[in-house]
Amino acid sequence: MSGRLSPGIIVILTLLTAFVFAAAGADLLAQNDPLRQSLLMRLRPPGTSTATTSYLLGTDDLGRDLLARILYGARASLLVATLSVSISLLVGTILGLLAGWLRGWTAILVMRFVDTMLSIPAILLAVLTVAVLGPGFLTLVLVLGLTRWPRYTRVAFAQTLQVVTLPYIRAAEMAGCGPMRILLRHILPNIAGPLMVVATSEFGLMILFEAGLSFLGLGVQPPYPSWGSIMAAGRQYVQRAWWLTVFPGAALFVLVLCVNLLGDWLRDRVDPTSRSR
Amino acid sequence: MSDTLQITDLKVHFPGRGGEPIRAVDGVSLSIAPHETLGLVGESGCGKSTVSNATVGLVSPTSGSVRVLGTELAGANARTLRAVRARAQMVFQDPVMSLNPRMTVGAAIGEPLLVRNLGRGIALRTRVAELLEEVGLRPEHASRYPHQFSGGQRQRIVIARALALRPALLVCDEPVSALDVSVRAQILNLLVELQSRHGMSMLFVSHDLAVVRHVCDRVAVMYLGLLAELAPGDVLYSKPLHPYTKALLAAVPEPDPVMQRAKPRVLLTGEIPSPANPPSGCRFHTRCPIAIDICRHEVPAWRHVGNSQVACHLV
Amino acid sequence: MTAPALSVDNLSLAIGDAVVVDGIGFSVAQGEVMAIVGESGCGKSITAQAIMRLLPPAIRRTSGTIRLGDDDITAISERAMQAIRGRRMSMIFQEPQAALDPLATIGTQIAEALRQPLSRARPAVRKMLEDVGISDPDRRVDQRPFELSGGMCQRVMIACALISRPTILIADEPSTALDVTIQAQVLDLLRHLAIERRTAVVLITHDMGVVADIANRVAVMYAGRIAESGPTEAIFAAPRHPYTALLLASIPRLSDTPKSQLATIEGRVPTPAEYGSGCRFANRCPRADARCSNETPRLRSIGPDHFTACHHAEAMA
Repeated sequence: MSGRLSPGIIVILTLLTAFVFAAAGADLLAQNDPLRQSLLMRLRPPGTSTATTSYLLGTDDLGRDLLARILYGARASLLVATLSVSISLLVGTILGLLAGWLRGWTAILVMRFVDTMLSIPAILLAVLTVAVLGPGFLTLVLVLGLTRWPRYTRVAFAQTLQVVTLPYIRAAEMAGCGPMRILLRHILPNIAGPLMVVATSEFGLMILFEAGLSFLGLGVQPPYPSWGSIMAAGRQYVQRAWWLTVFPGAALFVLVLCVNLLGDWLRDRVDPTSRSR
Repeated sequence: MSDTLQITDLKVHFPGRGGEPIRAVDGVSLSIAPHETLGLVGESGCGKSTVSNATVGLVSPTSGSVRVLGTELAGANARTLRAVRARAQMVFQDPVMSLNPRMTVGAAIGEPLLVRNLGRGIALRTRVAELLEEVGLRPEHASRYPHQFSGGQRQRIVIARALALRPALLVCDEPVSALDVSVRAQILNLLVELQSRHGMSMLFVSHDLAVVRHVCDRVAVMYLGLLAELAPGDVLYSKPLHPYTKALLAAVPEPDPVMQRAKPRVLLTGEIPSPANPPSGCRFHTRCPIAIDICRHEVPAWRHVGNSQVACHLV
Repeated sequence: MTAPALSVDNLSLAIGDAVVVDGIGFSVAQGEVMAIVGESGCGKSITAQAIMRLLPPAIRRTSGTIRLGDDDITAISERAMQAIRGRRMSMIFQEPQAALDPLATIGTQIAEALRQPLSRARPAVRKMLEDVGISDPDRRVDQRPFELSGGMCQRVMIACALISRPTILIADEPSTALDVTIQAQVLDLLRHLAIERRTAVVLITHDMGVVADIANRVAVMYAGRIAESGPTEAIFAAPRHPYTALLLASIPRLSDTPKSQLATIEGRVPTPAEYGSGCRFANRCPRADARCSNETPRLRSIGPDHFTACHHAEAMA
């Protein structure tokens, strides 16, 4: 891929980097402890300051600093998305590669399994699993990771089937490469492009899922902040304290938009005509 | 001295749609002696690519025998195949798709040695540099990627990779068809030179009779899964026996207008039949200008006529 | 003297800033087969597309005129051009199966070339199928392209192109994708149809054998320019451009001695980014000198109807 980046994509990458830094450096950036409650400072508007500190984005219903909670909430969103995408990418790619390489019964079984998984509504599956296993960060990651893999498998399978017919795979066989080497060194690098495109769009979706499940109370548990749960709490105070829904909502919107735009850009770059370059 | 390659009554059938198998190769026998180049020519559907794939074990024979340096490939297990591939290598038609786009050229050339533990580190790099120079490229090219090279250069890289294990048999499947005219000559010269230097045997598959003339000692002509004629180059091109060979030779346009326009026209009628449904008797009878009754019913036997071998009732 | 059926004058095409076809000119008379021959990247295919005004958006014409007989069609409207395409000027392509609509019967497609429904055009379509040598035309009319072989599809494409009796037929590598025995049949057909119907044929090819077979005149293109043009016999017997000579010398022939070394042209065809000043063949030419790298040779006459763009043409006699 050539290195010329348009101004638009630079802006997107900068914003995304800012989010990552905000999440990673929440300890340093947050003026206040996101968990510290203060009945005196309940539902204060943005810009409130006291003698000791200021609340740039206001406070929530328990007097906690909204800015700090949003910064720490970014961690939840990004961590859940990163971990769950990593798990589904790994599981999905392995299954797709094997199905494409071995074909026959393996492919039939894997793809039928994929079809079954894809027929179950995602949210329902997530909600049921959380209901059974109990809510929490780890459950959330596992649920999302283990229900989203079919999308990667489909892409990996189709791409593997295509690549496997190419002469350089036969040449690798002729050179004496075993199946593992062919899969990892010859097929995987050449199907990585489309898989990355799927991963990017799934990343945005996982951020939304995390927010949604936390909103429903099934995700990150209080008192730890998540944008979803902040907005859930803020629902009752929409007229008195609009900042509790608007700021986390805006953060969510901007982050997912950036991720989706990045995905679009990647997809254009990974177009087959440039893939063989 | 035993033959480098010996194919006896090779048949390769693929499952076809609607019950009838596709008889891509239906009883081919040929052999290649050490240091010899055999050309295999034919048009679409004749099965020449299937024969070349069977020679290196990329396709398994339905019946018959394929022996490379004495080792039988029919029914061979993975280990035997791997061992044979150290001695028989292939150069494919499409130079662009014969190289992994995500792998450096040096890594691609060195891979056959690497996976067999025949070299690593500096020794491997030195050998790769040697191979690059042998095919007319430079050692510093090893760190580049395939897309940075032209079609002709990519084909040289493919040849260098094929030579890495010093094979006794080199199978070239249409190695110059996808290249520009001015580059073809370079690659053909290279192949001829490499063969005389290393003394390997070569199976050269092509649809281009003029190219085959240039590179081969003996030539076999294939039609719809069977051999029509096999003869030393000089004999085949000057005194072809089989009507198909004659038609093929007549159809090749000579780059010489005076000669070309004076050539007697031998135009075959009709289309090439499908390998899924070959004609009865002699498969060429539907298009043969001199076919008679027996040709429709009886498959002609493969016989010796002078220095040639041919399958035709009328020879 | 009547105007030639097609004449192209000083045609230049560019992609962005790069001039990929530079000042091409040639003419074709009624009933004549003119071959444009060159390797990949020489610009022969986009020249053909430019004549049909079917250039992709990235390529634009920067100069030149195209005339059909007495009519200048260089800048006419797209609507006027659509009336010409398929009627006065037709084109056939390299991949016959890809150029035909897989869902429509071949009868419908040939009738479409006449802009008539099949019901009305059936007799004409049937006659055309016979003329192009398709056996059993009544049955074939209702078949679809996948039921036909490559050679037959190419004949169907020729039928589509010629049924409206165009004055000009542009054939872009018509036989490259075909087997050699089928190629011989198709080329023979093209030659006969050209002679019978007095169609002017522009034949784009990379195969000198095909040129020798059916072309009356030939223009050799290299890196976007015409290197040499003239009657086929003259060009083959006594080429006056080093590229033509080397190209002819490097082609393997049936009459060659086996295992002899073929003449080669060192290096490779330059990309448009690499075009410099002077002759574009200079860096590969055994006769090149300082003048060649600095001064672009102009296409000039070197014999009856024989033109060359080389400073050293005289020395090649």
